[in-house]
Amino acid sequence: MGMKEYLTSQKSAAPLAMFRVLFGFIMVVSIIRFALNGWIYELYVKPDFFFTYYGFEWVTPLGEVGMYLLFLVMGLAAVGIMLGYYYRVAAVLFFLAFSYVELIDKTNYLNHYYFVSIISFLLIIVPAHRYFSLDVMRRSDLEVSTVPSWTINILKLQLGLVYFYAGLAKLNPDWLFNAMPLKLWLPANAHLPLIGPLLEYTSTAYLFSWTGAFYDLFIVFFLLYKPTRKFAYVAVIAFHLMTSALFQIGMFPYIMILCTLIYFSEEFHEQCIAKLRELWSKVAIWKSEVTGTSQHTSKKRSLTLSKSASTILTVVLVLHFLLQVLVPLRFALYPGNLFWTEEGYRFSWRVMLMEKAGYATFHVRNSETGKSWEVSNWEHLTPNQEKMMSTQPDMILQFAHHLEDKYKQQGLEDVEIKAEAYVTLNGRRSRLMIDPEVDLTEESRGFEHKEWILPYPDNQKSWLGSNSR
Amino acid sequence: MISHIRPILTVALLGSLVFLGSCKSDSINGGENNFDRAAMLSNYGNNTILPAYLNLQDATVSLETSADAFIEDPTESTLSILQSDLKAARLAWQEANIFQFGPAESVTLRASLNTYPADTSQIKSNIESGDYTLGTIENRAAVGFPALDFLLHGIGESNQEIVSIYSEGELAASFQAYLQDNITFIKQKVDDTATEWSADGGNYLATFLSEENAGTDVGSSLGMLINATVLHYERFFRDGKIGIPAGVRSAGVRRPVATEAHFGGYSLELALANLEAIQRLFKGAGIDGSQDVGLEENLEALDAAELSTEINTEIDQAVTALEELNDPLSGQIESDNEPVLNTFKELQDIVRLLKVDMTSVLGVTITYQDNDGD
Repeated sequence: MGMKEYLTSQKSAAPLAMFRVLFGFIMVVSIIRFALNGWIYELYVKPDFFFTYYGFEWVTPLGEVGMYLLFLVMGLAAVGIMLGYYYRVAAVLFFLAFSYVELIDKTNYLNHYYFVSIISFLLIIVPAHRYFSLDVMRRSDLEVSTVPSWTINILKLQLGLVYFYAGLAKLNPDWLFNAMPLKLWLPANAHLPLIGPLLEYTSTAYLFSWTGAFYDLFIVFFLLYKPTRKFAYVAVIAFHLMTSALFQIGMFPYIMILCTLIYFSEEFHEQCIAKLRELWSKVAIWKSEVTGTSQHTSKKRSLTLSKSASTILTVVLVLHFLLQVLVPLRFALYPGNLFWTEEGYRFSWRVMLMEKAGYATFHVRNSETGKSWEVSNWEHLTPNQEKMMSTQPDMILQFAHHLEDKYKQQGLEDVEIKAEAYVTLNGRRSRLMIDPEVDLTEESRGFEHKEWILPYPDNQKSWLGSNSR
Repeated sequence: MISHIRPILTVALLGSLVFLGSCKSDSINGGENNFDRAAMLSNYGNNTILPAYLNLQDATVSLETSADAFIEDPTESTLSILQSDLKAARLAWQEANIFQFGPAESVTLRASLNTYPADTSQIKSNIESGDYTLGTIENRAAVGFPALDFLLHGIGESNQEIVSIYSEGELAASFQAYLQDNITFIKQKVDDTATEWSADGGNYLATFLSEENAGTDVGSSLGMLINATVLHYERFFRDGKIGIPAGVRSAGVRRPVATEAHFGGYSLELALANLEAIQRLFKGAGIDGSQDVGLEENLEALDAAELSTEINTEIDQAVTALEELNDPLSGQIESDNEPVLNTFKELQDIVRLLKVDMTSVLGVTITYQDNDGD
C-alpha cells in the first residue's frame, strides 16, 4: 500500500475510459444547448465591450464567423474526446477552445465553466483513449488494459477539492445562521408541485443550507468509502437534481452526476463498458459491419511511462494541485468582507453563496467645460453585463476605463468618472460600494487591494466575523 | 425527494432540526411567510392592469369619434374637443404604459404608441407623399400619440391656423387621412392588447394568475411585472420624461423638444400621472381607488417594512418635486433647468430602492437576458 498504491499501481483502464466518454458526451450536449440558446451570438458577438481578465486582455472575440467556428471546433473536439478519436489532439483543442471562450468576458464566469476547463486540462495528460476508443480500433498497438492508478486518482482528487472547497465556503455566518441566500431564493419556486409549498418556510431554507454544507463537505468521503458509496451516489443524484429544479444553473448538475461516477469500482466501469460494447455490436450487426469491437478480447497490456515523462508529469501535477489548494485561499490576503469586495472570490468554488444586486450610476465630468452628465450604461453593455458589472468592483473599474477611452475617441481628453454604486448583499439594505468621490480614471487595475472600495459596514474585519443585520 | 437520500442525510436533518430548535427567535422573526402572493397578483391583474387597458381602449374610442367629428366639420370647437380627448387618452396611457410584458410586448405597444420626440419631417414627408405604412421601423417616430401631438398642436401657431390646414390647406385631405390613419393604428394596437388580456379574448389574465406563474422566478408573473415596472421607471419614466429632455443623457446639452407632449405643453402633467400610477401600483391601489394587497404589504410580510416606508416617502417627495415644476416642461428646461435636474435626482433615488433593495427582498431577479448562474 502507501503512496505506490495511489500513484503507480496498475488499475483497470475502464474507469478512465468511461470518464472520457461521459465527460465528452455531456460537453457535446452542453455545447449544442449553448448554441441553440443563441448564446454564442448573444454573449460573444453582440456586445460592444468585453470585461477581460487582468493579464488576459489579448483574449478577444473572433468575430461572428470566428466565434461560430471556434464553437464548432470545440464541439468536434468534445466528440473526439467522447469517442476517443485522435484523443490527445481533441483534448488539447477542447481545453484551448473552451478556456479561450471563457476568458473573453468575465461577465460569463461560472464555477462550472472553470471546472470544465480544469477537467479538460487533466484529460490532456491522462491516457483515457487507450481503452474502449476509436483510437485503439484505429491502432490496436495503442490498447492497454491497465493504467497507473494516478491517472484516475487525480480526477478523484480534483472533484474532491471542488466539493470540499464548496463546502468550506458555505461555513459562513450568513449561510449557516441566516439561511442566506436560500431564504430569498427558495420561495421563487413555491409553485412547484409537492415540494413547492414547503419552500415558503424559513425552516426549509435552514434545512437546505445545512444539508448543502454537509453534503459538499463530506460527499467525497462517502463516495470513496465502498460501503457508503451507493447511498452517497443516490445523494449525489438527488442533490444535483434538486438544485437543477430549484435554480437556473444549466448543465452543472448533470456534469457532476456523470463525473462522480469516477469513484465507482473498476468492475462497475468494466460492466458499463461491456454493456456499451454489446449495444454497439448490435448496431454494428444491424449495419452489417464487422468491427473489432463485437468480438472484443481485452489484451493484457499495461501502460508504463518513461522516466523523463514521469518527471515532467510529476512537476506539472504537483504544481497544478498546489495551485488548486492555494488559489481558493488567496482571499485571506485581502482586507474586508470577501462577499462585498470579491477580491479573491472567483476560481474558488464559491457557489450560490450570495444574492447580490446593484445599481451603478456613472457620473462624468468634463474638466475643461465643467459640464457633467450621467452614463446610460445600457447603451454600452448588454443587460447581463450591466447586471454583473454593477455588483463587482473590478468590473466597475473596467467599465469606467472603457468609458474614458470612448470619450477620448470623441475628443474629450480629460474627463472625471465617478461611480455611485448601490449594492445589496443577501437581502440587506443597499449601501454604497465604491467611494463616490474617487475618479476611477485615475485608478489602475491589478491584484492589489483596491482602496476605493468602501468597507462593508456590518463586517469589516473578517470573513468569518459576525454578519448580523 | 429528501426521503430518498435518507442514509446520509438523516444526520444532517437531525442536526438541522436540533439547530432550528435553538434558533427559534429567528424563525419566528423571519417567519413562515404567510403573504398571499396570488391575492396580490389577482389584485394587480383585475383591478390595475386589465382596467388600465380597458380605460385606454375607451379613450381611443372617444379619440376616434372626435377625430371623425373634426374631419367632418373642422372648426376650432371640434379641434379643441379632439385635443382634449387626445390628452385624456395620453393620461389613460400613463396607467397602462408600465405593463410592457405579455400581450403589450407582443404587439410592441409602447414603441408604437409613444416613441418621442416625434419625427416631424418624417410625418410631413409621409403626408406629402401619401405613401406610408404606419408601424414600420422607419415610421416609429411618425406614429402614435407624439405624432398626434404634432398634428393637433404643432402644425400651426394657433388653433385657427391648425383648423385651416385641415379645412382649406393644399394638403387638407392628406392631413385628414394621416390623422385618421394614425388614430386607427393606435386603436388597433390598444384593441389587440386589451383583447389579449380580456377573459372573452386571449385571456392572458388567466395566464397571469395561473398557479404555475405564481412564483418569483424568471418568467413568473411577479418576475415579469417587477422587471417591466423597474425597466419602465428607469428608462421611460425617469429618463424619457425628465432626464433626457433635461440633458442628463446628452453630455449636459438640454433637449427641450424631447419632452413627451412638446407641442401640447402638458408633459409634466403626464409625468405626474405616471408617477402616481406607479405609486398606486406599489400600494396595491386599483384604478377605481379600491385598496388591496400590493408590493407594500408583500415587503412588510418579508420583514422589510422599513424599506416599504422609505419607498413611499421617496415617491411622495418625487411627486412634490414634480409638482413644483411648471408646464410646459420644455419652457422650464430652457429657462430654469436646475429644479428639473434636482427632480431627476429625486427620481434617481427611487431606482435603487426598487431595482436593488426591493427585488432582492422579493427574490425577484432583474433579468432582461437569459443565462445560467451558479
